[in-house]
Amino acid sequence: MLQIKNLKKAYGKYPALDGLSMEVKEGTLFGFVGPNGAGKTTTIKILMGLLKADGGSVLIDGMDAMKNQKEVKGKIGYVPDVFGVYDNLKVREYMEFFASCYGMEGLMARKRCNLLLEQVGLEERTDFYVDGLSRGMKQRLCLARALIHDPKLLILDEPASGLDPRTRLEFRELLIEQNDRGKTIFISSHVLSELNQMCSDIGIIDQGRMIVSGNIREITERVDQSNPLIIRVYQNMEKAMAILRSHSCVRTISIKDNCLSVGFAGDNQDEALLLQQMIDAEVLVNGFFRKQGSLESLFMQITDHEEKEELLYEGKPGL
Amino acid sequence: MKGNPVYRREMTVSSRSIRLPVMTMVFNSILALVALLNMYSVASQGRVTAEIQYSSFLNLYVFVALIEFLMLFFIMPALTAGSISGERERQTLNLMLSTQMTPAEIVLGKLISSMINMALLVISSFPVISLVFIYGGIQLRDLGLLLLLYLSVALLSSSLGLCFSAVCKRSTMATALSYGFLGVLLIGTYAINFFVWSIAQMGAARYVNQVGGIASQVNSGGFFYLLLLNPALTFYLVIGNQVGDREGFLTVMQYFGKRQLNPVLNAWIPFSICLQIFLSVIFLTIAVRAIDPMRGKKLKKQL
Repeated sequence: MLQIKNLKKAYGKYPALDGLSMEVKEGTLFGFVGPNGAGKTTTIKILMGLLKADGGSVLIDGMDAMKNQKEVKGKIGYVPDVFGVYDNLKVREYMEFFASCYGMEGLMARKRCNLLLEQVGLEERTDFYVDGLSRGMKQRLCLARALIHDPKLLILDEPASGLDPRTRLEFRELLIEQNDRGKTIFISSHVLSELNQMCSDIGIIDQGRMIVSGNIREITERVDQSNPLIIRVYQNMEKAMAILRSHSCVRTISIKDNCLSVGFAGDNQDEALLLQQMIDAEVLVNGFFRKQGSLESLFMQITDHEEKEELLYEGKPGL
Repeated sequence: MKGNPVYRREMTVSSRSIRLPVMTMVFNSILALVALLNMYSVASQGRVTAEIQYSSFLNLYVFVALIEFLMLFFIMPALTAGSISGERERQTLNLMLSTQMTPAEIVLGKLISSMINMALLVISSFPVISLVFIYGGIQLRDLGLLLLLYLSVALLSSSLGLCFSAVCKRSTMATALSYGFLGVLLIGTYAINFFVWSIAQMGAARYVNQVGGIASQVNSGGFFYLLLLNPALTFYLVIGNQVGDREGFLTVMQYFGKRQLNPVLNAWIPFSICLQIFLSVIFLTIAVRAIDPMRGKKLKKQL
């Protein structure tokens, strides 16, 4: 559905996008994540034809987005991070205005507006003024507006910002519903826990480049493998340390109080054997587990550019 | 025109606003008051001196036409200077640009809606203007020419406002620059001619002192044609022709020095109207390019 290749954009000397490449498959709910200034909004603006790229290519549903802007815009619905309000315009008029921006007029436009307002739960607010709606309602209206021309791809830029938890949940359900109806959804967000729950695919962008991209489950499993093994030792710390030092799978060890955090390259069987070895050596272990991976930890790991020294043997200088 | 979504939305919104009815009422009240005072003074004079000064009715026409001209010239930028920058401030411009609507359609929609609002004001003033027909002196053809002039003035001042509105990020800056540019058109073109003519005269005076001759042969040269862009001069000449002052143009021309008549000077009014319409097209083109995300960023960033 969406293919970006080597996309480049610089603001003066500062490169906002530095050869971004990614792919969003049809029917997926794609989470686009990155720290502030990573290039998310720049990417979205280029996709929407609101910004000119310095280089690279964007294919949307097989069409070159740079060359066939009008046709491509007919295939994309856009929900920006801010909600633009017109004074003195009613909900129905707002919808009909945007319908006419796509060349939809008369009965067809009215029917489509009614259907979408019903889908987002605003069918009873059609005669309300837009600027009088609550933030959550405005966001739902914005979603309905973006769907007015029945686009294949829906692009949302930080749609949950400023919404309370309940409204956020309702909005998330609306998006999942649209995804179930066959829409490909491309959503940029900072709320990682939310993306974790609803997205099928994810892409993490940093400094204008795609760092990780793919199926969200596969990525988190990969993250799990790179997480440290946590071993809580009740007694015989010296013996435990000796075993760990001599083990071929151990890469790093850090200690805090009685808790060992071990960089362990082995698989599940190696973990079980290590535990067995410790018990045989009369090390009393009251905790042994692999730290669970999450999108947050992956995000922090990828976007943490500061060099950090490994805290080895913290609090136990003698070991 | 009816198919333009921006135009239809603007019409819906402005029909709900109290601004236009208030503007229409105040404007027509002023015109009506002046007309009534004029007629009262003519009648009073008639009672005292037993003579009717029919030229007073022509003065009424001149006055009403002048008020309308000034209104078009000065109110149109106020209506349009905030239109596109206002969309940008409300963050709705990107929403529109993300649809299939083109930048040209957006600018055209804004232009037409402001022109229609102005047309409403002009048409609403027809009853007062038509008072002049009671006594004669002005023909329908004259009124048609005046309307054409109004159209070109409204087009110029509204496209000027739209241009700065598209180029500037903020409405206040757009309004200030629009009025600044109007000032250049209105006073600047005169000032440049006056300055050049004064300099030329000073130089000529020095020469005259040396050889002994007449210094009045100098003029402001090609700068005089800058006055083609001045809508106030065009208005002055149109009204002058209509009320019988056929020598108005010669007076203005002589003011900046003597010069030979040529086709441009002979057909000053049509030339100036055409040139002002052309200038409006340039302003509109700049506006379209400024809001086109694929073209106008460099220009916009500077303001």
